[in-house]
Amino acid sequence: MQAKTLTRLERRYALLGALLIAPTVLVFCAVIVYPLVSAMYLSLFKIFTPTLEGGWVGLDNYHTLLGNPEFWTALRTNIIWTVGTLTLQILCGVGMALVLHQNIWFRSLARSLILFPYFVSTVVAVLVWKWLFNDLYGILNHLMIVARLTEFPIDYLGSMPNAMISVIVVGAWKYFPFVVIAVLARLQTIPDALYEAAKIDGAGPIARFFDVTLPQLRDVLVVIIMLRAIWDFKEFDLIYLLTGGGPITSTQTLPLLVYKEAFALNQMGMASAYAVVMMAIMLFFMILYIRRTRTEEDT
Amino acid sequence: MSKTHWNNKGFTRRNVLAGMAATTALAGLPRRARAQEITLRWWSPQGSPAQLEAYKTQIASFEAANPGIKVQFETTSDEGYAPQLAAAFSSGEVPDIVTHLPSFALQTYYANDLLVPFNDVIDTVGADDFYPGANNVYLAGDGKYCGTGIGNSAANMLWVRRDLMESAGLDKIPETWDELRAAVQAMQTGGIFGAPLPYGRNSMTSLIFIGFIHQAGGHVFTPDLEVDIDNEGTRNALEFYKEMREFCPPGATNYSWGESLTAFVSGATATGIYTGRVLINVNTQNPPIADHVTCVTYPRMSTDISPWTFNDFPSVMIPAQSKNIDAAKKFAAHLFQPPGYIQQLHAAPGHVLPVLRSINENPDYQDNDIIKKYPAEVDLMAASAAGGFNLGYESADHKSNDKAGEIIASNAISDLVGRVILNGDNVDEALSAASKTIEGIMKG
Repeated sequence: MQAKTLTRLERRYALLGALLIAPTVLVFCAVIVYPLVSAMYLSLFKIFTPTLEGGWVGLDNYHTLLGNPEFWTALRTNIIWTVGTLTLQILCGVGMALVLHQNIWFRSLARSLILFPYFVSTVVAVLVWKWLFNDLYGILNHLMIVARLTEFPIDYLGSMPNAMISVIVVGAWKYFPFVVIAVLARLQTIPDALYEAAKIDGAGPIARFFDVTLPQLRDVLVVIIMLRAIWDFKEFDLIYLLTGGGPITSTQTLPLLVYKEAFALNQMGMASAYAVVMMAIMLFFMILYIRRTRTEEDT
Repeated sequence: MSKTHWNNKGFTRRNVLAGMAATTALAGLPRRARAQEITLRWWSPQGSPAQLEAYKTQIASFEAANPGIKVQFETTSDEGYAPQLAAAFSSGEVPDIVTHLPSFALQTYYANDLLVPFNDVIDTVGADDFYPGANNVYLAGDGKYCGTGIGNSAANMLWVRRDLMESAGLDKIPETWDELRAAVQAMQTGGIFGAPLPYGRNSMTSLIFIGFIHQAGGHVFTPDLEVDIDNEGTRNALEFYKEMREFCPPGATNYSWGESLTAFVSGATATGIYTGRVLINVNTQNPPIADHVTCVTYPRMSTDISPWTFNDFPSVMIPAQSKNIDAAKKFAAHLFQPPGYIQQLHAAPGHVLPVLRSINENPDYQDNDIIKKYPAEVDLMAASAAGGFNLGYESADHKSNDKAGEIIASNAISDLVGRVILNGDNVDEALSAASKTIEGIMKG
């Protein structure tokens, strides 16, 4: 009798558990599973974007995509952009976090101001940078000509490798505050005793950075690198607004290619195939990265 | 007191809840009544402050004459309208009326049953009032009109400064490419560049370069719409465009309409390539050069070849998915009513030219400082635009091309320019790649 009552209670708890978790599952399905399955499903069709009408083509889109040199060029460009801007973000972010961790004047103000690029909308940031880069009125060219570093204005966005470098620099400027916030938060939790012990052992500032600070930042850097790599890999608006993928296709990354297929060429099926392949590539690199960092931790 | 009040039988919790529900329903009533009003969404890529003022006037007069109909204006952009409309069409959340898109965009949409025929709007405006042939570019395969023109534009006029020409010892405005090359070479001095031609990966480069192909006697398609971009005219155009690179600012590799216009208006280049918007911009932003500017049709390879003016035929169209088609048609016709239409044209005199004869002859239209100051230029642009073409309508012999919008958006032509001129790629290979891309789009 008692066992029967308990079973009923357990059932009611189980039901309650399912009910409580149901909203999360529903939201997860609506915002993650459904778009993902839809994208995969769409990639098997040839679809005219404005009407969303089309026919079944199976894996033809993937076959065409993998045989298209533009895809491989865009993938290479995507990797160059991601690695370039991520490296700069990490270097600048960690460096700035170390500076802001020191007891400097106006530290609170500086900590607030450093977030400015991250808060500015991408469109505004790009407009400002385009003015800075402008060949006829830009302050960068003006200063360089005045300083006699160059005789003629430099074409920052219309020639290679300037365009890629410019895009990488603007990307790093826009997103490095994220690294600063995360690293600064971690820096503040490192026990002073570790630094004191290192000092007693005769470690200088550089040795203390590599032997104390960096190992302590390891966990947070693993997460930052993973998140920023995903976000940078799929970055669209900043690159599109700065160069439109040019000169020619020199800064055309995979997200720009997805956009072009979907909305310029009206091929939603092909665009979905590109998006699915992009996701697979990101997944592959992320799994590789996580496994590698776990292996290093274990050793 | 209040305790007694709440404990009163007339104010049970249930009654209070019922009362709240009733209040909510009552509050909703006016909203429902408001919902019976129609709100038309109007999209246009033309949204300068003066144009927005004109639109406000047109909207106000329409709303006053049509109680129950509201109009909401939203700006799109020359580079961004295609993706925005693709998303709108696919989601069903379409604007009710779209103006100022190039004619070839309409042909693409109409061919896919996304627009309503426009014959009745044209009749309401007055078919005979349009300039002869003004609506030919909107004639679709089924014999109906997919839209109509709200204006004409001569987008590739050559703008020159007489003061700089005089300083360079030039007395003749260039008519041929050789003369243009010599002129910009002579005027490129003292920090002023010769020309602001676009070399960027964008629609302006494609559209302007198509003009150069025609100015060399070439074409992109045969009249039957077979891809034929690999011809002598294109090769000559590429060669000349490459020669002009040294007379353009370094950043021209990333120029689009805005940058090119600003370069000339600010005085950074000796010549310009644009519509009549130059006139108002020069007068408001750089008055010292305003008395020296003039325009001609863009030079061609030789005088044996006729000038080819790029007219994107700024249009009016109504999406078939609109839930307010009748009201949208009424508003479309209203856009051509003299007071508002004239104010709209005056927002950038010479930029969008009238398509109705009655408007051009209207004293109110002629009574404008810019039009009075530059009568020869405005007349020339009007005449050039009336005989103008674009990729959707390459010549009077060409069939209408409903894939022109996708070809421009694909950047196949601007990439051809970039590959040959910026990258120094082999011309044969670049032309072959461009042909292949365009053929792929034509096959769908």
